[in-house]
Amino acid sequence: MLAQLLVSGVSQGALYALVALAMTVIYRATTVINFGHGDLVMAGAFVVYLLVVLAGAPFLISALLAVVLLFAFGVAVYKGLIRPIMAGPHLALAMMAVAVGYALRGLARVVWGREVLPFPKVLPQGTFMVGPVILAPSDLIVTGSVIATVAILAIVFYATRLGKTAQAVFQSERGAALVGINVSAFQGTMWGIGAAMAALGGILIAPVTLLYPDLAASTLIRAFAAMTLGGFGSFLGAAVGGMLLGLSELLVGAYISSKLIDITAYLIIIGVLLIRPSGLFGRQAVVRV
Amino acid sequence: MADELLIAEKIEAGYPGKQILFGVDFSVRKGEVVVLLGANGSGKSTVLNAVSGFIKPFGGRMLFNGQNIAGLPSHQIFRHGIAQVSQARDLFPDMSVEDNLTLGASQRGAAKAAESRTAVYRDFPRLGERRGQIVRTMSGGEQQMVAIARALMSGPLLLLLDEPSGGLAPKFVDEIAQIMARLKQGGITILMVEQNIKLAFDTADRFLVLKDGTVAERGDVGQGVSQEEIVRTIYL
Ligand SMILES: Nc1ncnc2c1ncn2[C@@H]1O[C@H](COP(=O)(O)OP(=O)(O)OP(=O)(O)O)[C@@H](O)[C@H]1O
Ligand SMILES: [Mg+2]
Repeated sequence: MLAQLLVSGVSQGALYALVALAMTVIYRATTVINFGHGDLVMAGAFVVYLLVVLAGAPFLISALLAVVLLFAFGVAVYKGLIRPIMAGPHLALAMMAVAVGYALRGLARVVWGREVLPFPKVLPQGTFMVGPVILAPSDLIVTGSVIATVAILAIVFYATRLGKTAQAVFQSERGAALVGINVSAFQGTMWGIGAAMAALGGILIAPVTLLYPDLAASTLIRAFAAMTLGGFGSFLGAAVGGMLLGLSELLVGAYISSKLIDITAYLIIIGVLLIRPSGLFGRQAVVRV
Repeated sequence: MADELLIAEKIEAGYPGKQILFGVDFSVRKGEVVVLLGANGSGKSTVLNAVSGFIKPFGGRMLFNGQNIAGLPSHQIFRHGIAQVSQARDLFPDMSVEDNLTLGASQRGAAKAAESRTAVYRDFPRLGERRGQIVRTMSGGEQQMVAIARALMSGPLLLLLDEPSGGLAPKFVDEIAQIMARLKQGGITILMVEQNIKLAFDTADRFLVLKDGTVAERGDVGQGVSQEEIVRTIYL
């Protein structure tokens, strides 16, 4: 029973980790907390839904298209909406992110109303046993994709020249500009990567949770909880925080009450902020909005 | 005329809703050191930032090697060969000295970077000894050296220095003075802001005094202009 819960929790947590990591990429690159990030997740899933169900395209190609499209959308949002107001107050940036998110959500509602759409069965069905644990191929695919993404991210950030550039911009935007780095192009790319990762998250989440415009809200709050628990702005924190949140939800659901699953994220945020505001791996909790 | 590296023509610049420079004119010749003087808030840093592209002038021309660079983004101006040491230094605090320096040459390829690094460690032996030290843990004077060295890593044609002695203990001011003398001997062209008049006059060939958003006074260092006179121009 416990082994089973742990396995499911990891697969669920991997998804939260992915979304939290994507938000962390954007936050570290531009110090913007993307309150519209859940909507990018939702948008990625909707694009795949459109392509697969309405246009009859194969799933893998649709997924790839959605990721590319969201990358371009992320870059466009940065260039068109974020960059022009970067010098202004932080609250304006947060409001802009919220506005973009709600606009996307509104757009989705115009098309679908408040319907909950069953996502096409794109991942392999069925289960198999490993010892006492029931495994679904879809869980393995989700967890595998997330691990692969995290590995690529880690290699790029810690072992390449682009990674050094990224760390330079993270540590001092102005310093990066002083050594000739095109900071705005870099930040645009990071918004693109963040949005593409959100799309990937959406594509992996939707088959599990079904698809509805308000998918965004529940995703966002879980990413927040993961980031808060792990330490805001820390990549390692986002990954570990996401995993722990996934596990906590399942354990709370199994041993306390399944009614508490949806508020686990809120409880974690409240608890962490009161007891250890910097989270597990955070340096300091100076997040201003 | 031919040896003028930088010519600022009627530069107008400032910040949203607040113009600071009202037609600033000056030039810097190849191989010379020009010092920009002026009271606090007179716009000295603004002039340097207008040269390096951190702020975009809304009037006038900035000719570098005959090409107008006014309005170009800072990373493009950097590629023309202008490197700046800003007043706040803006180092990468959680990186080692070596990483800071290497990033200074990040637009040049690994071979050139290694070459610059060797040269910089030769000129700044103290940095060579501490190449692994995290910059955050260094003293202000040491950090200033890292900042100057980082700017040199790109092999600039023009070096912009914003108050290299700012906030440093006398011992370090002397050391900075030596560095400046060495740079000058190496033939690099420098436009610098410096409040320490002695340091400024020890290194500079010419001076400019900025006042009310224009160049109020200019001249050759050591042409009979007394330092007291200049101080009076700056502050009165
Ligand atoms: N980012 C900014 N936004 C708005 N005003 C600014 C900004 N930076 C500088 N200023 C204003 O522009 C004027 C000139 O500033 P600048 O930094 O160029 O002066 P400075 O001569 O370098 O002064 P200091 O000797 O103190 O370094 C000052 O009045 C300053 O308040
Ligand atoms: Mg200044």
